[in-house]
Amino acid sequence: MEVLKRTFDFSDFPRTDLCVAGAVALFLLIFPLLPHSSFAMATMIQFLMFSVYGMGWNTIGGYGGQVDLGKAQYVGIGAYTTAVMMIRWQVPFWVSLPIGMALAVGWSFILGYPLFRLRGHYFAIATIAVSLVLKDIFEAWSFVGGARGLKIPLRTDMPSFLYLQFREDYYYYYVILGLFFVGLFYINWFRQSRIGYQLRCIKDNEEVAKSLGIDAHWAKIKAYAVATAFVAAVGSFHACYNFNIEPEDTMSLDLSVLIALMAMLGGAGSLWGPIIGAAVLVPMKNYLGAWFGAKAGLVGLDLIIYSTIIMVIAAFEPRGIWGLITRLRESRRN
Amino acid sequence: MARKSLILVSVAVLALVMAAPVWAADEIKIGVLYPLTGGAAAEGKELRDGAELAVEIINNAKPELSMAIAKNAGIKSLGGAKVKLIIQDHQGNPQLAADLAKKLIQDDKVVGLMGAYHSAVTKTVSAVAERFGVPMINESSTSPALTKEGYKWFWRTTPHDTTFTNDLYEFLDGLTKGKAKGVKAFDPKELLPIVSACEKTEWGANVDLAIKEIGKARAVPVQLSLLYAAKAPDLSSEVQSLLAPKPATMLFAGYGADAILMVKTLKSMKAQPKLIWGQNAGFESPEFLSALGDDVNGILTRTVFSPRVGQVKKVAAEVNGLYKAKTGRDLSGASARAFTATQTWAHILEKAGSTKPEALQKAANEIMIGPDELIVPWKGVKFATTGSDIGQNELGTGMIGQYQKGKDGKITLEIIYPFELATADLIYPFKGW
Repeated sequence: MEVLKRTFDFSDFPRTDLCVAGAVALFLLIFPLLPHSSFAMATMIQFLMFSVYGMGWNTIGGYGGQVDLGKAQYVGIGAYTTAVMMIRWQVPFWVSLPIGMALAVGWSFILGYPLFRLRGHYFAIATIAVSLVLKDIFEAWSFVGGARGLKIPLRTDMPSFLYLQFREDYYYYYVILGLFFVGLFYINWFRQSRIGYQLRCIKDNEEVAKSLGIDAHWAKIKAYAVATAFVAAVGSFHACYNFNIEPEDTMSLDLSVLIALMAMLGGAGSLWGPIIGAAVLVPMKNYLGAWFGAKAGLVGLDLIIYSTIIMVIAAFEPRGIWGLITRLRESRRN
Repeated sequence: MARKSLILVSVAVLALVMAAPVWAADEIKIGVLYPLTGGAAAEGKELRDGAELAVEIINNAKPELSMAIAKNAGIKSLGGAKVKLIIQDHQGNPQLAADLAKKLIQDDKVVGLMGAYHSAVTKTVSAVAERFGVPMINESSTSPALTKEGYKWFWRTTPHDTTFTNDLYEFLDGLTKGKAKGVKAFDPKELLPIVSACEKTEWGANVDLAIKEIGKARAVPVQLSLLYAAKAPDLSSEVQSLLAPKPATMLFAGYGADAILMVKTLKSMKAQPKLIWGQNAGFESPEFLSALGDDVNGILTRTVFSPRVGQVKKVAAEVNGLYKAKTGRDLSGASARAFTATQTWAHILEKAGSTKPEALQKAANEIMIGPDELIVPWKGVKFATTGSDIGQNELGTGMIGQYQKGKDGKITLEIIYPFELATADLIYPFKGW
């Protein structure tokens, strides 16, 4: 009962935040009913995917303060579990989803134990290294298609909810929106839970945390596993949504960095941060590319604008967009 | 009464005449996906320029050109409708390309798609085209697996890597038998050991497979083969492993920047092979030549086009002239193939006389473009409708070219294979750097 109460308890947020969040939630629910282009739909799906990635990353990276740059390996584990099970044994998505999450979490425990002996930059570098090693293994492993990856064959009985194969994107939209809300409520519980407080304490001062009796090593491993479960779930979804996966697009360093970047840009360690980060970066990335990307003379302009905005935010407010909002509020109060 | 009728008829005729240009000016939109930024940006621009030149020829009558698409302005069977390309940059990213393909199909309402260069990207885009039942013509992705899916909405004009790799081994075989211009027969063992390095996405991994399998079947096995990341900032360790068995023949498949880096690293490590061959792509992009200059002298690449083709095909020389006037460059394998695919689109539209997907599908399956129409030295364009390679152009052939420095100091890609088309003596063995 206490758990349920905490899950839906947003009372520590100002009313304005909750009104905005409510309006956004309503917008997300009715978005497919509004007139929209298919590119906008694809962008919204990506926004939701990256929001959930970011929420996961936020547990260990934001609340726990451990900069993890190897999340893509778990996207890969989720995606490959679903794809392999679907192609080889016709296992439905809804069965392979929890299996993929479990495998990823298992792997995260194996890695987490030695990785969290490291701190700061050493930890970040180690996460990159292990992720890239796993990617290399997948690229050479013929059972999972090697570097060429796997392609989920189109089913004749489309639309298929069991196997998550649809022609229209709005079905995918509602599936990922469901994951998004589950993730959001879970993180709301997480931040108010015992482990949530422990992590923030570790982030502020690990020695003090230990002196208070917190098992810092174990707390970090647990948070890392939670982050992993989120990322792997979206990975499974990615496999079905894209029909095609390769180590290069599911396990690349680019993806790991993008996941961390969205959460950091939005505001690491806050509930709304990863969502804000994804809401800013995903549409910007897609639309700038579509507008300028192919025009002669403007080729590459989208990437310049994109990187400039990231640099400006990073330079003026390292706490991200949420930090900017908080600062504005404080200055108004004073 | 008669006067009234006359006025009415005149108004009707006038309305028709006025309406006709509006109808004729209708545009047929084709969505095009190319990598215009990222590691393969130079090739992407080549592809775009090739496709745009073809559209210029399709939309404006150029009777001086001896090809069907130049005869009329626009697509005659569709009332002279003009073709318009809507070009998007996929940055070499399969996910982005799939989203852009959906945008082109659903938002821009294109009648068909073309692209996407990287085989890995074409794989996702062709799956989108298949899902939506929209025809897609692929011009330059050569992974054999792309036409093994049994897709009903995907056609490929370029020959694929099985053909190209067979050509390579035919060439090696002929070379040892003294068939190459300017080289006497020698012991085949001189070409051993063979090593290969391919980039490790869909395309390179398939080339790697083809090189190994065909080599094994022909009893000239590859001693060492490795895959590398095209985005790798450094290839020293890869080159070190490649040079360990002291290779005589080195085979490569690289996209853009990585092909250049590979040759630079080979040079810095003082590699001394007798023969270097690249599987097109990065090895025949204009960037490869401009970045490496004289260092490419003697390097072989498979290709589908060289300006030298103009010596044997009049139409190739004519189109190359137009391309050079437009861009300042000669046509390359990429631009020539984009041109040919766009030309194929025009033939399909002309034959279909409609922009309905089913009509286009039927036309694509029935089309036959003769060799005289093409700027590439193929036997024509005709797509397989049965067998294991559905949608593949059955009449495509490959060539092998060699970069050679002429007396004027200019580097040209001379045709070496097919031996009967050779435009220069083969430089063998490779002279080193």
